[in-house]
Amino acid sequence: MTRHFFSIRVAVFSLVLGFISVALAEEKPVATGSPLAVVRVNGTTQAYDFFRPWGKKPAASKRALGAILPGNKVLVTAEMVANQSYIELEKAGSGEKVAAKLLAVDYEANLALLAPEDPKFLEPLSSLTIAGQVKTGDRLDVWQLENSGTLVATSGLVTSCEVGRYALEDYGYLLFKITAALQYRENSYTVPIVHDGKLAGLLLRFDPRSQTVESISLPVIQHFLKAAADTPYRGFPRAGIQFEPTRDPQLRRFLKLPPDAGGIYLSNIDANTAAAQAGLQKGDVVLSVDDQEIDPDGNYTHPVFGKISINHLISTEHYVGDAIKIKYSRNGEIKETTATASDRPPQSYVIEPYVYDRAPKFLLLGGFLFQELSRQYLREWGTNWQKDAPIKFVYFDRYQSEIFPSDRGRIVFISHILSAPSTIGYDQLSYLIVEKVNDHVIKSIADLDEALKTPIDGFHKIEVSDDPKVLYVDAHTVEADTTALSKQYGIPLTSRLKE
Amino acid sequence: MISRLIPLLLGVLFFHTTRAQPGVSQAQEIRKSLVRITCTEQDVDYKVPWNPGAVGGGVGAGFVIEGNRILTNAHVVSNNRFLTVERQGDPKKYVAYVKYIAHDCDLAVLDVENPDFFKGSSPLPLGGIPEIETVVSAYGFPIGGDLMSVTRGIVSRIDFQPYTHSGIDSHLAIQIDAAVNPGNSGGPVMQGGKVVGVAFQGYSGDQAQNVAYMIPTPVVKRFLKDIEDGRYDKYVDLSINYFKLVNPAQRAALKLPDDDRGIVVTSVAAAGSSAGILQPGDILLSLDNVPIASDGFVELDNDRIEMTEIVERKFKGDTVVFQLLRNGQPVTAKVKLKSAWPYSMQANSYDTPPRYVLFAGLLFQPINRDFMAAVAIDDLRTRYYYNFYITEELYTAHPDLVVLSSILPDPVNTYLGQFQGDIVDSVNGKPIKVLDDLASALAENRDTYIIQFLGGGRPAVLERSVVEAARKRILDRYNVAKEQNLANPPAR
Repeated sequence: MTRHFFSIRVAVFSLVLGFISVALAEEKPVATGSPLAVVRVNGTTQAYDFFRPWGKKPAASKRALGAILPGNKVLVTAEMVANQSYIELEKAGSGEKVAAKLLAVDYEANLALLAPEDPKFLEPLSSLTIAGQVKTGDRLDVWQLENSGTLVATSGLVTSCEVGRYALEDYGYLLFKITAALQYRENSYTVPIVHDGKLAGLLLRFDPRSQTVESISLPVIQHFLKAAADTPYRGFPRAGIQFEPTRDPQLRRFLKLPPDAGGIYLSNIDANTAAAQAGLQKGDVVLSVDDQEIDPDGNYTHPVFGKISINHLISTEHYVGDAIKIKYSRNGEIKETTATASDRPPQSYVIEPYVYDRAPKFLLLGGFLFQELSRQYLREWGTNWQKDAPIKFVYFDRYQSEIFPSDRGRIVFISHILSAPSTIGYDQLSYLIVEKVNDHVIKSIADLDEALKTPIDGFHKIEVSDDPKVLYVDAHTVEADTTALSKQYGIPLTSRLKE
Repeated sequence: MISRLIPLLLGVLFFHTTRAQPGVSQAQEIRKSLVRITCTEQDVDYKVPWNPGAVGGGVGAGFVIEGNRILTNAHVVSNNRFLTVERQGDPKKYVAYVKYIAHDCDLAVLDVENPDFFKGSSPLPLGGIPEIETVVSAYGFPIGGDLMSVTRGIVSRIDFQPYTHSGIDSHLAIQIDAAVNPGNSGGPVMQGGKVVGVAFQGYSGDQAQNVAYMIPTPVVKRFLKDIEDGRYDKYVDLSINYFKLVNPAQRAALKLPDDDRGIVVTSVAAAGSSAGILQPGDILLSLDNVPIASDGFVELDNDRIEMTEIVERKFKGDTVVFQLLRNGQPVTAKVKLKSAWPYSMQANSYDTPPRYVLFAGLLFQPINRDFMAAVAIDDLRTRYYYNFYITEELYTAHPDLVVLSSILPDPVNTYLGQFQGDIVDSVNGKPIKVLDDLASALAENRDTYIIQFLGGGRPAVLERSVVEAARKRILDRYNVAKEQNLANPPAR
């Protein structure tokens, strides 16, 4: 197994240096008559090693520029705080530092809210109010700090507002695309973007070749801040649907849709989601949401942003608990229903789409390392994980709502086999999915731990979905084997049943 | 351990040679029976399946065997359009043709119409398996030389090896340390005046030096026996997966004595010989009364060799008898052997033009190994279905994995691009198991064709009036010679 380290996708700042000459022309120092409304954020992150789940990877430090908000809070990207071991705030001018605590984080929307441990720390500084509105054609300023603490603003034009991918593969929200020439500065993990001195976005990524900044958009920030006021934090509603366009005239005639109307074809509905509970079915064509007509590509007309994806209306304009009115066509018959907006935490998936700040569960039995399958584990294969990781796992991850429509629980699998007396003859096996242990169905590492308490005739019977189908381990000797192995391989911990 | 091994080594087939160089002729008896084969071949074009493919050629070797026949490698004469054979000392080129070809063991028998060709030749006798560490001589026309070349080497290993020509079969092979090169393919490897093997594959220089393989005489004799009835029936297979029983806890839990005997059946292919006879969990103790060791090996001809070799020497319709333990009870099981057709999907195919159906500019093709090599399919589901076709028995629902492989753009299909690379599940509600099902569903006289792909996305809808209006336009614009080829479906 090739060893790769996962690194969070960040702005491509390392390439920016070549563009300094261009960048300088558009930069201007910001007059600092009033105290700064930004603060440096220093973080030390240390991710768990999903290939060796008893340990963590090397620590890495990150520097960001947080936006100070009213109420003693600092807004940064979630990438900045993922797997954090320690976070501190640092005043740009004085270098004064204080430890920070995390108030709320949303990895899907890539936003996090921090507060200083000492509430007086931010008092001498000012705060950023939230901008009123941003639209295509507006000029925004990207704020960066010089080493000296001087605030530098790079001005850029908003060229489009559209729904696009955020930091994680499956999550898309409204993005502002801004043409601006940035130069590299060390606080690259979060850079505030302002409109008339008010917070309008946070930098998500920058492409130096096209000089395009993609910014977390204002409505997404507003949604996050509003949701973060509630405890527990419940993020952005998710519709739980997959849809396809209905541009094809032959398809439209088949679906008995009028030629000039809109609508999206529901190709899949996740179980236990708002859409499923509202009675929507695969094959329905959704015509409008909240009386907003949907065009055949899945866009509606937003009063400020123009045509944007319906995802924005459902996920960002709505909050968890809202009623969403849906008009749809089923076999040519027009129907209406109401869905209750709900969020979908990563733990509700069979294969979790991301695992941050939580330790992977595992259990070492003799030389067998058992783990729960998550995409975080698959990401250990590196940026090309979708091609390089075991194809069966990638397939299960991608199509999990189709393959596991009901309560499958977690997929427990043997991720690695350490050579040991208990694994003689088993050492060539790899990535076996565990179905049952000692006749108990296994849906989690905790299930496994429980099942191991009742060996059959002195043996643990491990049933796996692939060949060789059944493995046996001597229940009397395996504990000693595990202890010996943990010494031999220097493994500090032989199981973690809880996160 | 599985009974058919997916090849692990990337062999080089010793066939194509284009460069001529002067050779040194030595008066040797073998010269009279050695044959130089020149093959003009034509590839198939999976991307544009109605097109004839590129023409190429090469030189290989063969030798005369009894009955005025020539034995050579299948890969020397695969996809041939024109074959000539020559013997040293006779300036004439004779036209030859393939009489029998066995892609699964890389052997072929050629006939020559003009009996003059064989005048003065004497059929080479077949010997047995040479001893390890003994010297053998390989004859052929390496690097395209017109004259015979001889190299000597030492027999260094006798074991199962993947046969690169089919890409999926493994049979007995003999490893020799000898300089064997392209152009040696099909040539005899001799010891004591007898043929002990047919040179056929090796490694490229960056993988291993001076390691070559020959097909041993048990494989050759099996091929010649198989074709005695005028037909080649292919290798037969148990079509099971088995697992070695060497783990002490596993043996104890299965209540097996500590006698290093027995293997456990882990899966039985529904399309194979053992279906309904062997069961997962059966512990196989002996095969045709030969004890099976816990690592799956048997003692045969004073050698330890994989159990599979017993089956390898049998023919379609033969039976093997297992003594086994099922739920602790002794059971005798008789398996009547046949070939396992699903494996052919993951094997290289030769001598058959691609099957396809073109409809409304949509090109539908069944997946096989050559198709996957020629057409880059990125679709995760399709790659999964190809990779797990055998192990997950996906062939039961879809003996052909019919994919929409490419689209000839036209207004009729302009909104269907998303389906490229997807596997067809049904047409008008009828399941598509093989390509012929698709062809007949699309030939039905109806107003609308509803094509559903695996995964349950939206259907592709095609209206007959629109399709008919586009038909000639597409054929003309894209120079399509023929809208479908359903000939030569694989045996199932």
